[in-house]
Amino acid sequence: MDTQGTEVILSIRDVSKSFPGVRALDRVSIDVRRGMVHGIVGENGAGKSTLMKILSGVYQKDSGLVVFDGQTIERTTPQESMKRGLAIIYQELNLVNTMSVGENVFLGRFKEMKGMRGTHAKARELLDSIGSKVSTTKLVSELSVSEKQMVEIAKALSFKSKLIIMDEPSSSLTGEEMCELVKIIHQLKEQGISIIYISHKLDEIFEFCDIVSVMRDGHVIDTKPKMEFTRNDLITMMIGRTIENEYPERPRSVGETLMEVRSINTHKLRDISFTLKKGEILGFVGLVGAGRTEIVRALFGADKVRGHKVLIGGKQVAIRNPKEAVDAGLGFIPEDRKLQGLVLPFSVESNISMASISNFTKFGFIRKSLEKGIGARQVKALAIKTPSTKVAVGNLSGGNQQKCIVGRWLEISPSIFIMDEPTKGIDVGAKYEIYMLMKDIAEKGGAIILISSELPEVLNMSNRVLTIFEGRITGEFDPQSTKADIIMSAALGMTGGCA
Amino acid sequence: MEEKKTVRKAGHSIVRDYLVLVMIAALVAITAIVEPKFMSGANLVNIMRQFGPLIMVSLGMTFVIMGGFIDLSVAGTINLVAVVTISLIQPLGQAPALLIGLAIGAVCGILNSVLILSSGALTQAEALFITFGMSTVYSAIALLYSHGSTMHFWDIARSKSLFEAIGGGNLGFLSVSFVIFLTCLAALWVFQAKTAEGRAICLTGGNKTAARLAGIVVSRSIVVIYTICGFMAGVGAIVLFSRITTAAPVIGAGYETNAILSVVVGGTTLKGGKGSVLRTVMGVLLVILMSNCLDLLGVSSYMQYAVKGAILVFAIWLDNRKQA
Repeated sequence: MDTQGTEVILSIRDVSKSFPGVRALDRVSIDVRRGMVHGIVGENGAGKSTLMKILSGVYQKDSGLVVFDGQTIERTTPQESMKRGLAIIYQELNLVNTMSVGENVFLGRFKEMKGMRGTHAKARELLDSIGSKVSTTKLVSELSVSEKQMVEIAKALSFKSKLIIMDEPSSSLTGEEMCELVKIIHQLKEQGISIIYISHKLDEIFEFCDIVSVMRDGHVIDTKPKMEFTRNDLITMMIGRTIENEYPERPRSVGETLMEVRSINTHKLRDISFTLKKGEILGFVGLVGAGRTEIVRALFGADKVRGHKVLIGGKQVAIRNPKEAVDAGLGFIPEDRKLQGLVLPFSVESNISMASISNFTKFGFIRKSLEKGIGARQVKALAIKTPSTKVAVGNLSGGNQQKCIVGRWLEISPSIFIMDEPTKGIDVGAKYEIYMLMKDIAEKGGAIILISSELPEVLNMSNRVLTIFEGRITGEFDPQSTKADIIMSAALGMTGGCA
Repeated sequence: MEEKKTVRKAGHSIVRDYLVLVMIAALVAITAIVEPKFMSGANLVNIMRQFGPLIMVSLGMTFVIMGGFIDLSVAGTINLVAVVTISLIQPLGQAPALLIGLAIGAVCGILNSVLILSSGALTQAEALFITFGMSTVYSAIALLYSHGSTMHFWDIARSKSLFEAIGGGNLGFLSVSFVIFLTCLAALWVFQAKTAEGRAICLTGGNKTAARLAGIVVSRSIVVIYTICGFMAGVGAIVLFSRITTAAPVIGAGYETNAILSVVVGGTTLKGGKGSVLRTVMGVLLVILMSNCLDLLGVSSYMQYAVKGAILVFAIWLDNRKQA
């Protein structure tokens, strides 16, 4: 395919962006050509969304150059970008649910359209041009996700957009709806409109993108016409980093089956069944939104789920709420430490003692001396760096906060430990300490379910991994004998395509 | 740098802890100088009397706010408990009437919590609207039950000595209502500070999600806080109508805002988690003293509303400043 011939509509040169503690984009350069579908792929946190937010004006770049349609863009706002002809369709669609389709397309521009009649007539034209039959007077709240996407596209067209950015557009579409979207993308292309298509689903990239850029850790690794990539190239580039010695040796203490989970079904999960062995670290690999967190939340009784069976030590247990989960010997480190894990204004001590209150109460009365002992014991055992156990836990560093949550559960020695993103947002040294704790728990006979968005972490810590894609378990692997890209393919659900 | 910050924080909270006391002292001093009548025996008795009903309601409200919620239904609960209790003295006798009155208060609270839980309303704002609605419902029942008329002690032929004692009797050198207050305060303080359920309530107020995921039964805490609040509103209602010897179906108007004002001024944060019934006692004292002083100083009641509002806003502002 001739990719050099057409003119460049958007040129990104050496754009960098830092957030406190993170270099989100490091001298990123990408050229997007007229009438091309340009795919951008990368793992979560690769910098795709940050780049798009800079283009639309949500963030300001630290340095670098952005030239759109011959104009250099320094500072911009989302409204200005829209008017220039650069539209973004976000994952979480930005429509006003309580207004009609037509009103949404021309939101805030009714006067230019000469009132409501003009608005609806013009919206009809735009929707017809992309083959959508949605009535313009229908309320947006009554539309399906794909219909909403059509409205977003019509809105983008109403600004005479020259470039439309689609951020993970397929994440909530069914197969059929996806095929509709593909058709529209082809139509837009024929009209000379360029599209940046952000996704981590490789099937889609191979189906209709012309050029592909791979991003990882804030860098663009490579940009080439699709034909010059193979699937494996892409995966290797996406995972990229060589795995160094940042992990302890994985525990070798796998024993007999401890827990059996049978057919968890929810609107998001399909027939989730698996087993967990004593002394084992079981990793869940999958993209954000694949259903990993939903599985463990269902297991822990945090979300209402019915009809599944959980057997621990061969006996069936009913877990309908977190209390029953704790009673059954489960511990849970939730994915969001600050919102779901800690009571930030409370002391280190009361955050640690939270799950074991019954251990230091007698006839319903708290015995302060026992509680003090619990706090002091865990602070010492886990080497939590804090001036005293009375300090508000919010003042501690991320790693030490996470240790407080680990300590909370160690106090009741759960036989099954669920860890959802246990090392998110903590520095390398603290990560290693958490890994050592995990190893220690497993070697003492506990079992751990580990969820992490950092693939190397799951692959290096787990004895066994399950890949999860769109609410289903798509594979079971031994990470010691399986190549990372094979596991990644399963986690990306690499099967099928558009019929 | 880090150390400096913590020191400043600690200093900040000491000022805040004693601010209520400082304000009370200043208020007393200024009023006593400007208006000597303030220190007269009659006025002090008057203050103690006003203290009675509001402190009961505020003690209960403390738990709801500590648990991260709010209860606007106490006005309605007071209306209902007052008219039902007074009307039952004649047919059932005073002790059964008293017990039924207290039970109605508790049931109103339980009903609030059940509505909140079953509708999945887990934010303070949602609880605010639900309890506001329930306040109207309880008041309406009170109006329907009493046909809108006021009931008086002198209409009751049977013995009402119990209520007369609550209203004006003494036990040794303390008034009966003050003894009731001390008893409630002691019981609730022990419950709040020393029991596992009290701790669960604080943790729920601090972070519902985290508390639930740590195995704390948050729904039980919610039922408990509203039950305590409803029960204490019932106690407040009985103390109130016993003192004024009449019960109108609108007797409780304004108690919800005054109770919330007292709790927040006392230093229990509206964000939930931190607070104490002891702080609330200081808050109530400040609110009552303030309106007494403003009365004596001849400030119009309209102006008093403005002052109260300003103080509530100031207390919340201070609280937010501290957390930021």
